Amino acid sequence: MARSDGTEVTVRNLRVYISGRPILKGINLRATPGSILAIMGPSGSGKSTLIRVINRLIDLNPSATVEGEVYIGGLNVLSADPYDVRRLTAMVFQEPNPFPHLSIFDNVAIGPKLHGLAKSRADLEEIVRWALEKSQLWEEVKDRLADYPHQLSGGQRQRLSLARALALKPKVLLLDEPTANIDPVSTRKIEESLREIARDLMTTVIIVTHTPQQAARIADYIAVLYNGELVEYGPAREVILYPKNEFTKKILEGVI
Amino acid sequence: MAEPRHDKLFYYTLLPFASTSLAIVLLLASILAVNSLPAIERYGLSLLTRNVWSPVELDPEASDYGLLAPLLGTLVTATIATMASIPIAASLVYVSEEVLPARMLRVRSAISILVDVMAGMPTIVYGLWGALVLAPLLLNYVYQPLNKYFGFIPLFACSPYTGLNILTASLLLSIMITPFVFAVVRESYTQIPLSYREASLSLGTTKYEHFRIMLGIIKPSLIAGALLGFGRAASETVAVTLVVGNAFNLPYCLLSPGYTVSALIANQFNNAPLYPYMESVLLFSGAILLLLGLVSNLAGLIMLSRVKARV
Ligand SMILES: Nc1ncnc2c1ncn2[C@@H]1O[C@H](COP(=O)(O)OP(=O)(O)OP(=O)(O)O)[C@@H](O)[C@H]1O
Ligand SMILES: [Mg+2]
Repeated sequence: MARSDGTEVTVRNLRVYISGRPILKGINLRATPGSILAIMGPSGSGKSTLIRVINRLIDLNPSATVEGEVYIGGLNVLSADPYDVRRLTAMVFQEPNPFPHLSIFDNVAIGPKLHGLAKSRADLEEIVRWALEKSQLWEEVKDRLADYPHQLSGGQRQRLSLARALALKPKVLLLDEPTANIDPVSTRKIEESLREIARDLMTTVIIVTHTPQQAARIADYIAVLYNGELVEYGPAREVILYPKNEFTKKILEGVI
Repeated sequence: MAEPRHDKLFYYTLLPFASTSLAIVLLLASILAVNSLPAIERYGLSLLTRNVWSPVELDPEASDYGLLAPLLGTLVTATIATMASIPIAASLVYVSEEVLPARMLRVRSAISILVDVMAGMPTIVYGLWGALVLAPLLLNYVYQPLNKYFGFIPLFACSPYTGLNILTASLLLSIMITPFVFAVVRESYTQIPLSYREASLSLGTTKYEHFRIMLGIIKPSLIAGALLGFGRAASETVAVTLVVGNAFNLPYCLLSPGYTVSALIANQFNNAPLYPYMESVLLFSGAILLLLGLVSNLAGLIMLSRVKARV
């Protein structure tokens, strides 16, 4: 399979229909390794759907049809084996969904185990610790790694889901409102982690967020979806300072 | 908060039916218990620990009974059947839920219809098939080679003369309870929330790895399926009677004919009135069977409710 080394995510003229209803109406986007792309837009505008196309989870919806092109590096996402696509990506879901039958430790360890990332138990523990630290959960759970997710609070579960994704050290990190239930201080620290990960691991980060402040703090690029259309897309600074679209102006009010 | 009136009405209408079925079970249990008393008084615990079956007509002093062989036979056949049915049922769930693409709904429903038909087939049909088809096949192609090459293992040490033995009964039972275990596991499997499926797939799992994770989530219902299947296997009568061999051997060797409690009752109950204590002994064994069934089914149902609470 032809596959270039880069893991740029390229979306060209992407159209998604669910039960015949157009959900995404011709999206063109690019997210580059080492940078963070923030996707904004009102509820129901198609943000989660876009993310699910990139890792082919959209396949789980039998009434969805997808047209257009999506590439991760040289990998043609829409025609590839979904397994190959998902091996390059990791996702944090809008609703926290750690596995109920696995301990905190195992929830984070499962990805590295599946991908064979750890050569020894010590390696594995190191990765788990790293991922939990980056997710701002380590301090709270380091003494109770054998506990189960139902013993955690909602925000802790969300951070656990984040840790599970980070532990994979994916080429492409897909985040669907990963800090929605998390307090402002931890949110800031998680944002720092994400910046570090993008920079140090050359990860391509795509993050859905409802808070323009968050986009302003971490994003290199901002894309705004409105009713399935891409109404704004560009370097974060430009979008924030000179928004073209009326809706963008509205949501960015108060940021500057 | 007060319940709406029609709910109460509904409750009262159902009460007689619900309490009737409970009453029947209690009545049954008490009849078994009361009628077991003579045997318990005479033989005590040795009923459970000895392997004897020597009824003597009209002579209560000479008659002697010990149920060890059928009791162990029931436990062994039901256990082997359960252990064999779990991987088969799980593989069927794997094929129907993960390997077949979602588009092939027809094939999926064909599988579940087939399984339902299998579950509903009269057990005598299984019994006849087991005795006439399965047993000779196993004898020629499995038991004889097994005895020849693995005879050094005590479980296969006895020479198989007919195909009617403990192992055939176990395998037939496993075929009979697999549809049931499958139904329990599949039911839970299809109810795993989409968010967990997505989480697992998003990790880049293969179909098999994904299936393993999903099974982990519904593990209590695997155990529940096993317990409920065990209950069925332990109480199954007609089919087992036809293939188990009906001999009072302790099941040290799986290739020798044996007995189970239900087969014993089915075979002996007709003659029981002629022999002192035999009826009481049989009812006692029935009581033990009832107890075994109640315990495994209750444990299974508790397990199932745990899955519901978790997922
Ligand atoms: N499984 C589905 N079946 C039918 N319609 C769906 C499904 N998933 C999404 N949609 C529709 O697609 C549109 C976009 O949904 P999506 O979840 O992508 O929105 P979103 O931008 O993520 O919204 P939010 O900010 O509320 O998460 C919505 O109109 C929604 O009704
Ligand atoms: Mg969404």
